[in-house]
Amino acid sequence: MDIVYTQPLKELLQVSTYFKEQLVVLVANEKDEKVAKTNDLIPCYLITDATPEGEISKLQSKKKAVVGGSVKANELAVRIKAEYLLQPSNTKQFFDLGLAQKLSANNTTVVLMFEELLKANSFERHQIWKNYLEVVRYCKQKKVKFIVASGTKDPLLLRPPKSREALAVILGLPQEKAKEYLEEVVKEK
Amino acid sequence: MKIEKVKKAIVPLSKRERKRYILFEILNAEVAEKDFYFGFWIDLLSFFGSKGLAEINPKVVLFKGNKAIVKCQRGKETELIAGTAFIEKIRNKKIIINPVLTSGTIKTLKEYAKIE
Repeated sequence: MDIVYTQPLKELLQVSTYFKEQLVVLVANEKDEKVAKTNDLIPCYLITDATPEGEISKLQSKKKAVVGGSVKANELAVRIKAEYLLQPSNTKQFFDLGLAQKLSANNTTVVLMFEELLKANSFERHQIWKNYLEVVRYCKQKKVKFIVASGTKDPLLLRPPKSREALAVILGLPQEKAKEYLEEVVKEK
Repeated sequence: MKIEKVKKAIVPLSKRERKRYILFEILNAEVAEKDFYFGFWIDLLSFFGSKGLAEINPKVVLFKGNKAIVKCQRGKETELIAGTAFIEKIRNKKIIINPVLTSGTIKTLKEYAKIE
């Protein structure tokens, strides 16, 4: 498996059941490192903010997907030049124009995950959708690729490509671009 | 006072609002026709709101087996397809609604889906 998930430790512990691939875990201090090692996360690579670039370049040959949302995770995606930045659907996710600019330079694809949106009530959906629109606005301004997908491994939550394309279109992406970006991901698989 | 019946003026075909038909396939579970009507409507209404849904104006025209043909306003088909992505459960059965084909006539869809 050459997909590498990266995630700050705290968030990773909450969603650890999803991950069966090799992991890169972002740890803040030695205590976190111990926790990561004792937990059943099968981490293969632990990194901190102080990890030198030379060490990180070992990951270059692998396909990297970063579960973003927080400032730290997004910065990490930029630093390791991740292929995908997964944006969870909640109201706390962070995204700005500077980040979009960096993602554009690295040719990173932003993946909007919408499985939480399915379970949310009307008010929560409104909040999440508003946040999505903001992410899309920045992506469009800086020409960052983005697709819509599901964030879990439940195949029943993954919607057909036509629906995902339509979702990208109603979020504000032109039809041709939505189709093109989605096809690129399918070809890569 | 005598109430006179006024005949409703017939709008000529060329001036009527255009519509689009979309063929959907229901995957994973069998759903009864009535449950589909209800589940389809409720989820779209919660996502688009009254105004949005009135603009899309979806109507289930035909339901047979696991296939359904839904009519909507022309130009709103993308919104309808996107909205169906949010239909996760009908009567507690997890389902996926797969948009198969969009057409301007119901005949094309019937032929494609082999529905008589």
